Amino acid sequence: MSDTNLTPAPIDWMALLPIIGVTATGVIAMIIEMIRPRQTNNAIVWCCLIGLGVSAYFVLANWSRPAEETFGGLFMNDRFGQVTQLLLIGVAFITVLFSEGYLREKRVPFGEYYPLVLWSTVGGMIMVATRDLLILFLGLEVLSIALYVLAGLKSGEKRSQEAALKYFLLGAFASGFMLYGIALIYGATGTTHVTGIGELYALRETLVDRYPFNVLYAGIGMVTVGFAFKAALVPFHMWTPDVYHGAPTSVTGFMAAGSKIAAFAALIRFLDGAMDLSSVWLPVLTVLAVLTMFLGNLVALVQRDAKRILAYSSIAHAGYLLVAVIAYSKAQGMFDVEIGYGTVIYYLLAYGAMTLGSFAVLSLTARGGREGTLLEDFHGLWRRAPFPAAMMLIFMASLAGVPLTGGFVGKLLIFKDAIAVDMLWLALVLAVNSVISVFYYLRIVLAIVVREPDLHPTRFAAVNPGLFAACGICGFLLIWIAVAVDPFMKWISPPEQHAIELRESPPESSVE
Amino acid sequence: MAIPVDSQHWANLIWAVLLLPLAGFLFQAAFGKKITDLLGESAGRAVLGFMAVLPIAAGFLLSVIIARNLGGLEPEARLFITTWFNWIDLQSLQVPFELRVDTLSMTMCLIVTGVGALIHLYATGYMAEDRDYPRFFTYMNLFILFMLLLVLGNNLPLMFIGWEGVGLCSYLLIGFWYQKIENAKAANKAFIVNRIGDWGFMIGMFLLFAVFAASQGVIGEGELRYLSFDVMFAHAQEVIPQFGPVVITAIPLLLFVGAMGKSAQFPLYLWLPDAMAGPTPVSALIHAATMVTAGVYMVTRCHIFFELAPVAMLVVACVGAFTAIFAASVAFGQTDIKRVLAYSTVSQLGYMFLACGVGAFSTGMFHVTTHAFFKALLFLGSGSVIMAMSHDQDMRKYGKLSKYLPVTYFTMLVGWLAIAGIPPLAGFFSKDEILSKVFSSGSHWAGQWGGFNPAVLYVVGLVTAVMTAAYMTRMFYLTFHGPEERWRNLPVPAHHHAHAVAVTGEAHGPDEHGFFLADEEVARRAAEEEETHHELGPGHQPREPGFTIRFPLLALAACSLLGGMILAGLNPLAEMFGAETPHFFEVWNEPSAGAALLPAETMFRTEHSTEWILVGVSVLAAVIGIAYMRFRYAKGLPEDERRLRGWRRAAGMQWYFDAAMYRLFVEWGGRFSNGVKRWFDEGVIDGLLVHGSAWTVGAFGKVFRKTETGYVRTYAMTMLLGSVLILGYFIWVVSR
Repeated sequence: MSDTNLTPAPIDWMALLPIIGVTATGVIAMIIEMIRPRQTNNAIVWCCLIGLGVSAYFVLANWSRPAEETFGGLFMNDRFGQVTQLLLIGVAFITVLFSEGYLREKRVPFGEYYPLVLWSTVGGMIMVATRDLLILFLGLEVLSIALYVLAGLKSGEKRSQEAALKYFLLGAFASGFMLYGIALIYGATGTTHVTGIGELYALRETLVDRYPFNVLYAGIGMVTVGFAFKAALVPFHMWTPDVYHGAPTSVTGFMAAGSKIAAFAALIRFLDGAMDLSSVWLPVLTVLAVLTMFLGNLVALVQRDAKRILAYSSIAHAGYLLVAVIAYSKAQGMFDVEIGYGTVIYYLLAYGAMTLGSFAVLSLTARGGREGTLLEDFHGLWRRAPFPAAMMLIFMASLAGVPLTGGFVGKLLIFKDAIAVDMLWLALVLAVNSVISVFYYLRIVLAIVVREPDLHPTRFAAVNPGLFAACGICGFLLIWIAVAVDPFMKWISPPEQHAIELRESPPESSVE
Repeated sequence: MAIPVDSQHWANLIWAVLLLPLAGFLFQAAFGKKITDLLGESAGRAVLGFMAVLPIAAGFLLSVIIARNLGGLEPEARLFITTWFNWIDLQSLQVPFELRVDTLSMTMCLIVTGVGALIHLYATGYMAEDRDYPRFFTYMNLFILFMLLLVLGNNLPLMFIGWEGVGLCSYLLIGFWYQKIENAKAANKAFIVNRIGDWGFMIGMFLLFAVFAASQGVIGEGELRYLSFDVMFAHAQEVIPQFGPVVITAIPLLLFVGAMGKSAQFPLYLWLPDAMAGPTPVSALIHAATMVTAGVYMVTRCHIFFELAPVAMLVVACVGAFTAIFAASVAFGQTDIKRVLAYSTVSQLGYMFLACGVGAFSTGMFHVTTHAFFKALLFLGSGSVIMAMSHDQDMRKYGKLSKYLPVTYFTMLVGWLAIAGIPPLAGFFSKDEILSKVFSSGSHWAGQWGGFNPAVLYVVGLVTAVMTAAYMTRMFYLTFHGPEERWRNLPVPAHHHAHAVAVTGEAHGPDEHGFFLADEEVARRAAEEEETHHELGPGHQPREPGFTIRFPLLALAACSLLGGMILAGLNPLAEMFGAETPHFFEVWNEPSAGAALLPAETMFRTEHSTEWILVGVSVLAAVIGIAYMRFRYAKGLPEDERRLRGWRRAAGMQWYFDAAMYRLFVEWGGRFSNGVKRWFDEGVIDGLLVHGSAWTVGAFGKVFRKTETGYVRTYAMTMLLGSVLILGYFIWVVSR
């Protein structure tokens, strides 16, 4: 946080490198798009993959630096931001990896697709690395505008157009709320920096005459609406099924994984900075969490379309994530409970991997410009494409929370956190929902593995190496993080916390 | 207690002993089929057989080296614990992956690898014709791995892994020829009966865990390895008595339930006779020489818990004695050569527990060792006979085989005399020692066991010795002696092909397991059946099997002949003449298997004159048994053997115990379970809870789906409504 607005802020280019890297990759991809040979996007794909790899390396190059704000408090460089940026880069990487084959089958082989994905990622990366509400809003818009275009990529298809339009209209609506909320907060406190807001709020007893705190509350409420829209929380979720259903499947995967990671990370940032406000937020968030979990799961039960099932499932998972966020921010106000952001990051990673992976598998039904996403369209996939189908089993097991997968460990961590902050009832709601969810995940498994194709079987697209790799990476990640929980949690926790988190164990005796 | 072991220490060789079978297992599992495909059947099998024997034999040599080094140390120093990594690492409990090298574990290790290597070698010959050759050795190497883990593990969880692992391998190998439904059923029976024992073992383990976890104050706050044997045994005497007599007695009894399952003691012996459905090398290795002695090993390993509870000792001794005489009586009614041996195994295991029950743990282990020699020998010999007789196992069809199978005959002769207890063969030393220790410890236990006269146990043991000699003589004479070759009188077998089709099932339907086979597979199996299946008929000429079969027989015969003398250091004989020669095996095992709390020096002490009498009585018992049966069976098959009647028939059916158990648990239990399934599972759980709740939840989903209209205006309206509610909350409730 910096109060010295008059002196020019020191510019830390190093911290910005990942964002610059992804942006520049997008620009280069755009240029390649113009000069490439007509028939193929491969050069663009390679350029994107390499650029994303380099950007990930830039993130890791910042890894060991102490947490600090730069650009006069506009940009936050810390482990949390780095980890979430890595997640977003990973999501973009996997999306790019499996998109090309799908887009070709879907007959939308546009080169612009890739820069848009990258720039949308940039928006997310900005969102997670700032504590300033305006920059956050900027990131949100960069993220969203690219997504509006992507959702309507298949311009000849009604569903796709409808998705883009709905997403845009409602998104604009939510953006309006958010911006107005930020304006109100600024009006009430004179700052858009969350730390500043928090500090001011801590002194409200003495300042109550000079600052209009009621306006602050109204502002927070409106910002909440903005977040809730982006994270698809009930009742701001209604766009989700239609948009997820209508958008091209690879875009849906990117949207479901990427924008949710960004939204939740930004939410954590906001809560983290304005920690004293958590007592104001938490009741609202709790109600939203319960509504989101129940509605997502219950409606998913009666869907017949795999993409819609996964859309509702992603709503439900947003509810689980919200429980983790609530536990995290509630623990900050308690003296004896120490909960890091590890659970949220862990679940975001698991969620990202399983969602993106399952959409990658769903994209196999696209062939020759047509795409069927009803459950019936997946009958016989096991025979035609055993590897993606096997990976799909892992994704579904993980989404349902079967042990030995990341989804299980993630839910377990959330459960543990919720109990630690005395919210057993919320943990139980989560457990009940988790049980309900098993049913519709099993329906997808049933369709893929057990059911025989009917008279007119779906002709699945051939499994290209990119899709193969994308499924493999996601599946491997899910198993791996379930096995190596401790190392992973140590890796993502901020350096200064290491000393606390290391368990006190007696030194290993050489006597054995 | 524990000796620090640095990475250079020779005790670390034990890891190689453990990992060699693992490598063998992985090799067989991964490359078994590929190698036979690559090199052709015969060359591939030679390579695979070699690669199966090699790790076990190498493990044996390494074990010999370790045991020699161990023997060179002071008795108190003969204990090493070597840790690989921290396997379970919790705040309040640490279970390292650690092996224990002491005299007891090395004894078992030598038996497992030594006898195991010989039996593997034997199996390369015995299984040479089998089409699942690689699968067989995959399981066999896996078995050795788990057995070694069982005996070498230094804590209860590791031992339990080995315990369950050998159970799994036993299951896989009993059902190795799974195409026959009886074999699959026998495998299931073994697995299920063993579950009962495992239940006891697990509860005992949990109880020990609870007891030690609650006694951190006694064993020291920093000591988290309290499931490791060294920590447990060092503190058992202080920890366990705190919890009162019930816990003191419950721990050993529960552990003993586990031992009863694995070591086939009454009433859990039921699975062992059926386990003979597996290939004969499996019977020799797993169901005679090694796995079934795991229970004895476990009791010996945990002997301190037993010593704390005299009541448990009484139970162990009585169950052992009863099993010994019960199984011996059943053996009289058997006509299948392998089943005779199976019941004799059960009976001999009873002897071992009898020894443990009176506190002579080291003697029990001695009998484990000698029994491993002669019982493996007898089983392998019977396998050789079975091979020579077209896989017909009915002794009544044998006779005069000594003419055709000289090597088998002479080696089995050694085994027969050894198990009967004729000096100076191996069985004599251990059995005589058990009987003498049971007798001499009587005065000690008479006071502890409140009214129960320990002399009864001695008498039971002695009668069993007579019976053992008798039924083994019956088996031996029916097989190898007699005036006529009885299979010559059999009818000419029916045409093979009809039989083959009957076995493989109808060409187009599922076979008895519900497998649909391709037509080619059916034809292939029929052809194979035709080729391998020769029914025993008058024209049959028995032939002595090849070298790989004869060598293990000879080696084990040598062990059975000399092993007892060497291991006992000729002690009983020497001692009778006043010399104080140390008993080699007992001295060797003293640090690990010697009684910890019982007054071993005084309780087993006897006068030399008494010792003389005891030896005389046991030899007399063996001679009586042999002599009586020799006269009865030397003249050929007695008339009453053609169809068993009277008590022999009842005995042959295990005195109807098996049938009663079947009726009670399988039939009635099945009916009960079916009732539960119909009323509770299908009615309450499925009907009310599962379908009921699914219907309710689905109904909610259908209602909520209605909100998803597809109109942007509805969506925006909902959002607006939500926003108003949230803002209302913030403004009205918070800023109130």
